[in-house]
Amino acid sequence: MSGTDRRTQLLQLAAGAVFLAVAVVLVLIVVNGSSSGDGGDAKLEGVSEVNRKLAGIPQQGMVLGDPKAPVEVVEYADLQCPYCKAFTEETLPPIIEKQVKNGEVKVAFHNFTIIGEQSLPAGAAALAAGAQGRGWNFVELFYKNQGAENSGYANDAFLEAIAKGAGVKDLDKWNADRAKFTAEVKETSAEAQELGFKGTPSVAIRGPKTNGLEPIGTPSSTGDLEKAIEEAS
Amino acid sequence: MSYPSEGALRRAIAFVAALGVAVATYIAIEAAGGDAPTCLAGSSGCATVAKSSYSHVAGVNIAVFGIVGYALLLASAFFANDLARFGGFLVALGGFGYSVFLTYIELFKIEAICQWCVASAVLMTILFLLNATRLVAYAGNEAGPVAERA
Repeated sequence: MSGTDRRTQLLQLAAGAVFLAVAVVLVLIVVNGSSSGDGGDAKLEGVSEVNRKLAGIPQQGMVLGDPKAPVEVVEYADLQCPYCKAFTEETLPPIIEKQVKNGEVKVAFHNFTIIGEQSLPAGAAALAAGAQGRGWNFVELFYKNQGAENSGYANDAFLEAIAKGAGVKDLDKWNADRAKFTAEVKETSAEAQELGFKGTPSVAIRGPKTNGLEPIGTPSSTGDLEKAIEEAS
Repeated sequence: MSYPSEGALRRAIAFVAALGVAVATYIAIEAAGGDAPTCLAGSSGCATVAKSSYSHVAGVNIAVFGIVGYALLLASAFFANDLARFGGFLVALGGFGYSVFLTYIELFKIEAICQWCVASAVLMTILFLLNATRLVAYAGNEAGPVAERA
């Protein structure tokens, strides 16, 4: 084969390889892109981010922060609720970063199921994760992978994937515990209604200057929540 | 069209590939120690990327694949034949394509940027351009650029 023939053949092969590479990259991007929003994919979003964010912060049940913190912020939320996701991902982080980490405030997650029938098992699954010290990891990871309301994404496989990603160590125990916590989800939902809450997320606060657990509604910003904490302190 | 001499292209490929080996080795060593590469200016992007599920393929850190790829490209620079030209082009094409995919993942999935990964992507892009130029200019030719001879 002459040099020119070999050159032509090599360049044709190279062109084919470029075409193939472009196709493979596009397929990879499309496959990964399509699995990002449905929330049901086993490859979860934000696992390391959530676990890193919460690393080192004490958790007892669904309470994040030092159990002896003088002020307790109680969030009543539905895991399927997009506003609850926004509250947890946008309003709460500065509070967690400062007042929770330095032991001034603790934040409790209480289920208030209003969205749909999957909210109840999802809430119970979070509490079962909380029994193993991974409740907030579960909640935040759930939000990171939240799908459209009532689209059916929050099935058992999704909940188990979230539990795994959240770092729940004993999955058999978590599975066994889930049913037990259904009653507690119903209790906290009733508690939210007793406090006069109609939607999620709703917040109540307890501190040295409050009269027990006082409802404050839905803080519209971190500043609003900081102000409520200051008044309760 | 005039091209740089193949010798100049090979030297450039060897230099950039050696830098790539160094970058990928640093990332792999940090990952093997359970850490993440240190991002400049205190950014946490490197930790986020390094601890994401995308940092491993079949249980192997992708930096290890990077080391192998850069080493192959470095080796291809030592030979002036069609196997080295075409092989170098294929490895660089694969590395470049995977870098595009990983950059997409960083931007839109992990939503964090690791400066070391960006550095590697830039090096792989340069290597792809160098190897593509080398192949187009010197494929099938042991003596000099076809374009120049013509």
